[in-house]
Amino acid sequence: MDTIITTTGLRKSFGTGTGAVDAVRGISIDVARGEVFGFLGPNGAGKTTTLRMLTTLLPIDGGTATVAGLDVARQPQEVRSRIGYVSQLGGADDLATGRENLVLQCRLYGVDLEPATRRTETLMEVLDLAEFADRRVRTYSGGQRRRLDVALGIVHQPDVLFLDEPSTGLDPQNRANLWDHVRALRDRGTTVFLTTHYLEEADALCDRLVIMDHGEVVVEGSPRDLKRQVAGESVVLALRDDVGAGVVEQASTLLAGQPYVREISAEGDQIRLYVEDGSATLPRILRLLDGEQIGIKAMNLSEPTLDDVFLRQTGRSLRDTGVSDAGPSERGGHVGHGRRKGHAA
Amino acid sequence: MKSVHDTRLLFHRYTVQMLRNPVWLFVGFSVPVLYLVLFTPLLKELPGTKGFPTGSVLDLFLPGILALMAFASGSSAGFNTIFDLQSGLIERFRVTPASRFAILIGPILSGLVMMTVFDGVVVAVGYGFGFAVHWLGLLVLVVLLWLLAAMMAAFSTATALVTKDISSFAAIINGINLPILLLAGVLLPISLGPLWLRTLAHLNPLYYLVAASRVLAAGHIAQPAVWQAFAILVPLCTLVLVWATRVFRRAVA
Repeated sequence: MDTIITTTGLRKSFGTGTGAVDAVRGISIDVARGEVFGFLGPNGAGKTTTLRMLTTLLPIDGGTATVAGLDVARQPQEVRSRIGYVSQLGGADDLATGRENLVLQCRLYGVDLEPATRRTETLMEVLDLAEFADRRVRTYSGGQRRRLDVALGIVHQPDVLFLDEPSTGLDPQNRANLWDHVRALRDRGTTVFLTTHYLEEADALCDRLVIMDHGEVVVEGSPRDLKRQVAGESVVLALRDDVGAGVVEQASTLLAGQPYVREISAEGDQIRLYVEDGSATLPRILRLLDGEQIGIKAMNLSEPTLDDVFLRQTGRSLRDTGVSDAGPSERGGHVGHGRRKGHAA
Repeated sequence: MKSVHDTRLLFHRYTVQMLRNPVWLFVGFSVPVLYLVLFTPLLKELPGTKGFPTGSVLDLFLPGILALMAFASGSSAGFNTIFDLQSGLIERFRVTPASRFAILIGPILSGLVMMTVFDGVVVAVGYGFGFAVHWLGLLVLVVLLWLLAAMMAAFSTATALVTKDISSFAAIINGINLPILLLAGVLLPISLGPLWLRTLAHLNPLYYLVAASRVLAAGHIAQPAVWQAFAILVPLCTLVLVWATRVFRRAVA
């Protein structure tokens, strides 16, 4: 594998003494040149902190990281000229026009005025911004602004583009549009490294991903391989509200004894099981529970998702850990800074 | 050189931004003019009082206003830094290979230019009211004003980067501003006060600038107050700039 990013035992903690929080606890990953690589995990998993170390914004507490063959800790200046970074905040200048933003960014990377102007022109075409080129950024819509942020990240044609939660705050249409642009970037040879807490985003966009939790890598692979690890299909059964806890247990025990059930877990009045062949199994489950007078409210059959992968590895669902709510700790860019207190000890 | 190139780019960016913000310009112009119009009349009866230096009221007070403006424009620089931090702008600049010194000094230089324009307005208005203009002295004074404003701006910016949020930044800056202003002799000469107050004032860099500004505005250049101000401000300004650049270079989470 032609690797472009390598980390070994990467660590970061915030604070000192008993209040110290280990935000990143020894992350080792390899990212291949030209792939879209993702960090998926709940808020506070350490995704942004890792990204900020790789982009020279945070000092590395332990372990090593190389980007494009350069040591991040020792050659930050060289690393900076090879990477692009789009933070959650974006960082476009509200009072300047999109064009002015891009030309300045280009020139900060050492490009002369004339080629910078030309490159800006092309880029605004590519990212569908030409129409708004000379409008001030404060008048941009969320989607336009996000595309400008991405443009600012790639204006110097970096080897690697880091995107931190790129689609947060975008509506589905703009999200799909952004994904198209990210894929187009990958097709032109740029390596894209992104963090996300959206399952669908990781699934749709990433060639490979790691799932992170509590500052550690839980599992690594392509979305397909990861989902394949979760055997078969998942069935979620919701029992009727009037049944007691004992009935859930009774049903679980009953189902666990069936040969076609591979794995089973109960949460509240829900029972989740993994089966070989869902459509053939559903009637059998129904008959079985009916025979025992156990009432079912709803039944749901689905292909395994990355959430099932996360659930299997951590015992929790990504959806329960606040996957799609932007916590207050994210606002100031301090992801991983406070949410994990309970796990610091 | 790279840092000069980057400084020029960022200076341009911040100057354009300032010019596009008319509210800011209006406030910048009105504060010194308000001082002249609303405070100077109070001083009319003062000359001749015990401990008060002799001379026209404006000749005494106007240089103090210039020093005050330099101090205020410098120490408020961090408010912009806080906004730029919150919008992600500073982080975006820090990921580029742009010189860290340029990221610090670009906006500071832009602020200095703007301050010099305001100084010109104050002198022009003062001239209309009878302020005696000594060009050479004012020229030397401008250099001192730049030194103080740059020092304060670098200090303020670095403080903003360290505190990161507006309330703790404002608390620190306001807490520092008041004693420095009171001990500078801007509004009333420190020579009116008791010995302990005068001793304390000697620990205040702004005090030296105010003292030098009065001498320079009167057209005297080869005076102890002038070289004392340079001897204090040049090393202090350098020191603060070096520290602030280090803060930029270090991680700002």
